[in-house]
Amino acid sequence: MLEYAAYALALFSLGMYVVLDGYDLGVGMLSLAAGPERRREYGEIVATAWDANESWIILAGVVLWAGLPGAYAVVLPAVYLPLVGMLIAVILRGLGLEMHSAAGGYRRGWALLFGGASLAAAVCQGLVLGAVLTGPRQEGGRFTGGAFDWLSPYSLLCALGLVVVYLLAGAAWLQDKTEGWSRSRTRRTGRALLAATAALAVVLGLLLPGADPQHLRLDEPLRAVPFWLAVAVAVGAGAVAWSGFGRAPDWRPFAAVATLTAAGLLALVALTAPVVVPPASTVHQVASPHSSQLFLVLGVGLCMPFVLAYNVYAWRSFRGKYADPVEQVLPPLRAVPRPPVAPPAPSGTVRTVLRRILLVVLGILATALSQDVFGGVAEWIGPLGVTVLAGAALAAWIATDRRDLRSGCFDAEAERTP
Amino acid sequence: MASPAVVELSRWQFAITAVFHMTFPALTVGLSVLLAVVYTVYVRTGNPLYLQIFRFWKKIFAVGFGLGVVAGTVMTFEFGLNWGTYAHAVGPVIGVTIGMEVITAFFLEAGFIGLMLYGDGRIRPRTMALACWMVAFGTLLSTTWILSANSWMQDPVGYRKVDGQFHAEDWVSVLLNPAFAHRFPHMLLAVLISAAWFVGGISAWYLVKNRVTAQPMARRCLSIALGVLGVLMPIQLYVGDGTAVFMGQHQLPKLEAFEGNWKSDNNGYNLLVVPDTDRGENRLHVEVPYLGSVIAQDLSGKTNTPGLLQTPPDERPNMWTTFYGFRAMYFTALLMFATAFAGVVLRLRRRLFDSPRFLRWMVWMTPAGIIAITGGWIVAETGRQPWVVYGQLRTADAVSHLSIFEVAATLAGFVLLYVTLLAIWVRYIVRTVKAGPEPLPTGPAAPDVPEALVA
Repeated sequence: MLEYAAYALALFSLGMYVVLDGYDLGVGMLSLAAGPERRREYGEIVATAWDANESWIILAGVVLWAGLPGAYAVVLPAVYLPLVGMLIAVILRGLGLEMHSAAGGYRRGWALLFGGASLAAAVCQGLVLGAVLTGPRQEGGRFTGGAFDWLSPYSLLCALGLVVVYLLAGAAWLQDKTEGWSRSRTRRTGRALLAATAALAVVLGLLLPGADPQHLRLDEPLRAVPFWLAVAVAVGAGAVAWSGFGRAPDWRPFAAVATLTAAGLLALVALTAPVVVPPASTVHQVASPHSSQLFLVLGVGLCMPFVLAYNVYAWRSFRGKYADPVEQVLPPLRAVPRPPVAPPAPSGTVRTVLRRILLVVLGILATALSQDVFGGVAEWIGPLGVTVLAGAALAAWIATDRRDLRSGCFDAEAERTP
Repeated sequence: MASPAVVELSRWQFAITAVFHMTFPALTVGLSVLLAVVYTVYVRTGNPLYLQIFRFWKKIFAVGFGLGVVAGTVMTFEFGLNWGTYAHAVGPVIGVTIGMEVITAFFLEAGFIGLMLYGDGRIRPRTMALACWMVAFGTLLSTTWILSANSWMQDPVGYRKVDGQFHAEDWVSVLLNPAFAHRFPHMLLAVLISAAWFVGGISAWYLVKNRVTAQPMARRCLSIALGVLGVLMPIQLYVGDGTAVFMGQHQLPKLEAFEGNWKSDNNGYNLLVVPDTDRGENRLHVEVPYLGSVIAQDLSGKTNTPGLLQTPPDERPNMWTTFYGFRAMYFTALLMFATAFAGVVLRLRRRLFDSPRFLRWMVWMTPAGIIAITGGWIVAETGRQPWVVYGQLRTADAVSHLSIFEVAATLAGFVLLYVTLLAIWVRYIVRTVKAGPEPLPTGPAAPDVPEALVA
């Protein structure tokens, strides 16, 4: 039974990712169609949360690896090119976002990179999804197919579907976060995306490889009930989103879209479970041994409430409409008059040379001590030498730091103030 | 069995992405601790200098952290992408460890980094301080888990092999494996030290350039950096030595390779070698006589260093990478130690902030820690070859079923991307440093009460 818990954890993480990073990627893609002013704002909206949102796909991947290593080892090589493509897109997206955010002001190149890489990442994810649903060729727990097996009409259609879903989530998020879009425009765009999502979902569902009565067995109540329930929830959420676009309260469309996405994923799981990698690899076949399952489920499961709690906390801290932050101006630094530095007292050359030689010898001795050279003589010399050395450095640091603090070393110089 | 070219290219791909990724945590772990400390000091004292320091280093930290995260994401998936057989074999052990890293550390960092970077002026200072500490704690925790996973691959314990798959039998000994006990403190110190050189070097640059607006900040940061280095450098040499001794006991071929000997008849210490792998000898070597014996704790000079010929040819690591990786780490470490030592002496003589030669040298030392960490990881990883899980799973058997085209194309893509990224990142740092910290108005001696923070 434990393997189902690991499976559920992986799916939960994946669902969180699709909902959370979905809006991120959607906002990124929408920024391509926005003007410079908006583009900057969109970037900033994503910047506060992209890192946390992206962590979910890493968790999904790692839980899959730890809990269902058989699936991880087959799926990843099978979708090699699109997945590497997604990783590169994710890197470029992070780069564009961070550089744009750090640069201050609007930088067209970085903003476009952010938007373009968001689109590329979404497309690659769709291709991966399509390839997994199509079922990679495998033999004895190893992928045996070719380099371009992932490319099929179905995976291309999946890519389109995922892009549309992300755009929908992005549009819903923007309604919540910005004042920018006019109500009528939001309504038009949101509803168009919603309609496209519904159409693509139906097409993708009907074309699902192995979507024949033999495989799907929708007559099994354990499968049919959750499936139709999920579909009903999805339809209901879709209706709420339909009416919510362009109308107060602004959080409603996103809540509805998130529900819709989650329900869609559940419907897919209801159709395929317990198959993890189509056509036939089930949870049992690919699961890791009991000891790993137990550790994973307990470890990750126990941490999950905390993770959710502080994610919600971080999310609440930035709730409401986006506004440019008001950075405090730095208060003035204390300025004290400081006597000019006296030039070093001229000391005899011989004395200087002697002092330096002494110091070098001391230094080498100290190094030798900390390298435990004398361990052959007595075990304790090394540790003692290190303790004395580090302790002396600590004492010197504290003493000189206090002295410098008193002498105004870390204050501004008064004479330089105008 | 996959073609040797796929194995070779996959190894290069992993090496390049790993080294590139490591550059960022090498700085950001230590920087996150520094940021947490200075922000806390600011909240407690209200001294605006610490806010200035915080805001300045935050700019460099933010981009480095972002790049580190995305480069780390690549690594997580690479295990399965290129090393499918490995992923299947060790998933029940390493997968769980990395999973724990993600859930405990990654999310902690990711959850609070938004607050830390964008919270200034939006959330309460105390909450900011908490976020900074959580990010720092997350980065340290991340280091812990990663070192646990990697150390297990260096010296696997506490498992049972079932059909070629590793099943954990005793989680405590898997996670707290013997190699971890040495390598974790070594790495923890290394990341703190490398961040300290980075901070110290850039601060020294401001002092060398005599930037008036940056002087108090540069002095304060240089003081912190050198203080940390003075304490940590001797400890690090000691811990590093312990790690090398441990590796000599548990992974002899690695020690044989990094000391650069073939026959076991050399009591000297090699400074430079030109190995000839096919003939099993050095074409050229430069050594300090007797030092090898001294390092092996035999002051009589009679102990020889073991050589690589003891190891069967198909179990030998590459001497080039292992030897020079080790030299890069060790010689840089000695330089770092000497510099930190000189720094302490200069401080005691009240000359630290006014010694142009020392400060200029400090600027050169800015990347010292990153170089040493990179060298160290090259020793750790190439010295373990040809094994991926030492003594249990060969790297050549661990690779996925992929075509050369896939690996070569993505390798080219990664190289191109990473070189560009590195260039952009370095340019960004140079620009940020040149632009300097945000100017701090000066005033008469102000009371130490944090008025702005009461609200």
